[in-house]
Amino acid sequence: MIYVIDDDEIMAGCIERACGELREVKIFTNGIEAAQALDQTGVPDLIFLDILLDGPDGFTFLNELASYADTAVVPVVVVSSLDLAGRDLSVYNVVGVLDKNTMLPEEIKNYVVQYDENKNDA
Amino acid sequence: MEAEVDGILVAAHELKAPLAVLRQLALTLPGMDAEGEHTRNEMVSVSERAIKQVNDLIKIRRLEDGLFEMEPVAVRVVCDEVARELMYLFDYNRRELFIKYSNRARLVTANRDLLHSVVYNFLLNAMHYSGEGTRAELNVKDFQGKVKIMVRDYGPALPMDVWREMKRGWIEKPTSIAMRPGSSGLGLYIASKFSRYMNAKVGAVRHRDGTSFYVEMPVSKQTSLFA
Repeated sequence: MIYVIDDDEIMAGCIERACGELREVKIFTNGIEAAQALDQTGVPDLIFLDILLDGPDGFTFLNELASYADTAVVPVVVVSSLDLAGRDLSVYNVVGVLDKNTMLPEEIKNYVVQYDENKNDA
Repeated sequence: MEAEVDGILVAAHELKAPLAVLRQLALTLPGMDAEGEHTRNEMVSVSERAIKQVNDLIKIRRLEDGLFEMEPVAVRVVCDEVARELMYLFDYNRRELFIKYSNRARLVTANRDLLHSVVYNFLLNAMHYSGEGTRAELNVKDFQGKVKIMVRDYGPALPMDVWREMKRGWIEKPTSIAMRPGSSGLGLYIASKFSRYMNAKVGAVRHRDGTSFYVEMPVSKQTSLFA
């Protein structure tokens, strides 16, 4: 299962389509809904996370993830138009940063494939 | 004045999100025929150019904070990078891009991002004004202890009053150079602002069959690793 957290539903839909039809994708427009869903749906395999969200921002959600043992290991791909160059986000298990202004659907798909493979290896 | 500038910053940030969405929507459209692909590429290209201009406007606001560090920059690498980025657009509009490097000094003192934007805006301007089937020229050479990056187009000649404004080394505001058809002069305004920040001089040369815009960059004293 993949979480897409973005307050822009159209952008979230684009990311969902790029993930591929066979993937189960859940879209959340804010971090609170996504955090609540973690208890109900279980831990996702991968999260695409926007930073500038309505309500608590993406960093708050990253801290929430990092505070529990089971969610701290979930790979997160940050999808933002903020300039995050030079920021070390690996402490949050952020495995990639995609710039909304330049990203390609293939890049999104590559992360999905990569973490599918990792899951299969494990 | 400060409130007005910040209004521009807020507007720029607000514009970025829908432009990024439009670009992404175009990219995720399902497969289509050649004409559809062509339209898709156009949509992506137009969105990307608009995003770049919006980003440049945000950078103009940030110039005041002095956040853009100056460093030795390999000028040819930046020019090649911009040329690669814009080649699709030149091909699509049936313009040729001619590049000539004759500079011996390889490194200039600049901020890489800002220099990239200056060259990008010059070339985009040249592409816009060069007629179909003609070419734009990017010429990099040494000039009086500086490196001169010059972009020539074969469009309408630059009006005298605009040339005078450029002669002093910068452009005050975009509308003041709304001089050639279909232009607000925004790209050149951006180039002018960034150049001034980098302590570089911008200028223009009038030709009977077009215009050259140039920026003179100070040479970096650091020995080039590429020399």
